[in-house]
Amino acid sequence: MLVRFWGTRGSLPTPITSVEIKEKVVGALMAADGRRFADAEEAAAFVDTDLDFPIGGTYGGNSSCVELDLGEGEFMVFDMGSGLRPLGIDALRRFGEGRAKTFNIFMSHLHWDHIMGFPFFTPAFIPGVKLNFFGGHDQIEHALRRQQEKISFPVPLDFMNAEMTFTVLEPGQTHEINGCRVGVIKQYHDNDSYGYRVERDGKAFVYSTDSEHKGEDLAAEQGFVDFFRDADLVIFDTMYSLGDSITMKEDWGHSSGLIAVDFCHRAGAKRLAMFHHEPLYDDKTLHELLGETQRYEELMRGERSLEILCAADGLEVRL
Amino acid sequence: MGEAMEWTSKARGSALVVSPSGAIDHDSAEAFQKNLMDALGQLAEAAGPLVVDFGGVEYMSSVGLRALMRVSKEAKTKSVQLSVANLNETMLEIFQISRFDKILPVHASVDAALAG
Repeated sequence: MLVRFWGTRGSLPTPITSVEIKEKVVGALMAADGRRFADAEEAAAFVDTDLDFPIGGTYGGNSSCVELDLGEGEFMVFDMGSGLRPLGIDALRRFGEGRAKTFNIFMSHLHWDHIMGFPFFTPAFIPGVKLNFFGGHDQIEHALRRQQEKISFPVPLDFMNAEMTFTVLEPGQTHEINGCRVGVIKQYHDNDSYGYRVERDGKAFVYSTDSEHKGEDLAAEQGFVDFFRDADLVIFDTMYSLGDSITMKEDWGHSSGLIAVDFCHRAGAKRLAMFHHEPLYDDKTLHELLGETQRYEELMRGERSLEILCAADGLEVRL
Repeated sequence: MGEAMEWTSKARGSALVVSPSGAIDHDSAEAFQKNLMDALGQLAEAAGPLVVDFGGVEYMSSVGLRALMRVSKEAKTKSVQLSVANLNETMLEIFQISRFDKILPVHASVDAALAG
């Protein structure tokens, strides 16, 4: 299994600005301190090894879209934020390599930042492509049709040539989809959201975004710990600091890295990906939050350590 | 992780100083919250401040922090001033990482908390 992050930003796409790029270039030049490079490869190695990630890279700005690449067969996609557009373009390349033209698309919920990529998803316009939508909501088709009504978008859903199916998945049950065991959990978010656990070949992947955990119902929290049990990777909504999430941003439907760490520790999960980044945070701030979350993990660690990464557009994680 | 939490409570003038000890995590957060809510109930008439002395607390996880925030909100509705004191280095770091140091008054000692 290869997890590929196409969009990691929460709420709204957040393009990088020229001011931020200038800061990165200045930081790189200062770090190089007059050093000369024999070729582009040597310069790239310097970027990879000598520069902090906020200087040499970016966490990106596309909204939620994650691919679980099984290496063959049909596509597995989680949410259709603006990151779906580059996934669609890359899928065309993989069609050329003989990849199946079928997408299994799992929707956490139907808020705009999680569906906005679909009108720009090129495979949806290609005859012979099949799109199987899955989710806890029974209004996926309605949400997609409404998004492409004439007042909002010039191309209606019916203009798309792909065959589409819509299936409601019952939480608490295990579903067999594309050779995988798929579990579903209902989450606390405005109009509900749903998390997914995918198991195949002895590996477990969890996608749990747009979920608030207020701590008022510890039995419900135990349900999440059980859902995350021994997962190889948990992708978790870490949008806010814990303090923000339970004060001024209470009931906004999002969570924090500290709750993620505690759930993963109790579940014995191996890796945590911080996800659904706050649009106000630049790369430096996100990197600092990663460091703080890693430090909290260190302070709270029991017998087993938890690897923590901050999801970035373009990041690939092999399970 | 998971050591049981103990609890003592002491009046200091019109104030009440409560001193949990051990770890405040998933196993003890409910008792921690209940004890703090009970302490708030005791203070309702005296209207003195409530000081949580964390000197005996090794660490507190997010479930304990969230419980503390619920108590803080309840304290505001009762117009009781809630503050925390005597945090060890680990607890101070947890408060900084969680941004609780921006939300609650944090004092170096109980005496400093009582002095306001």
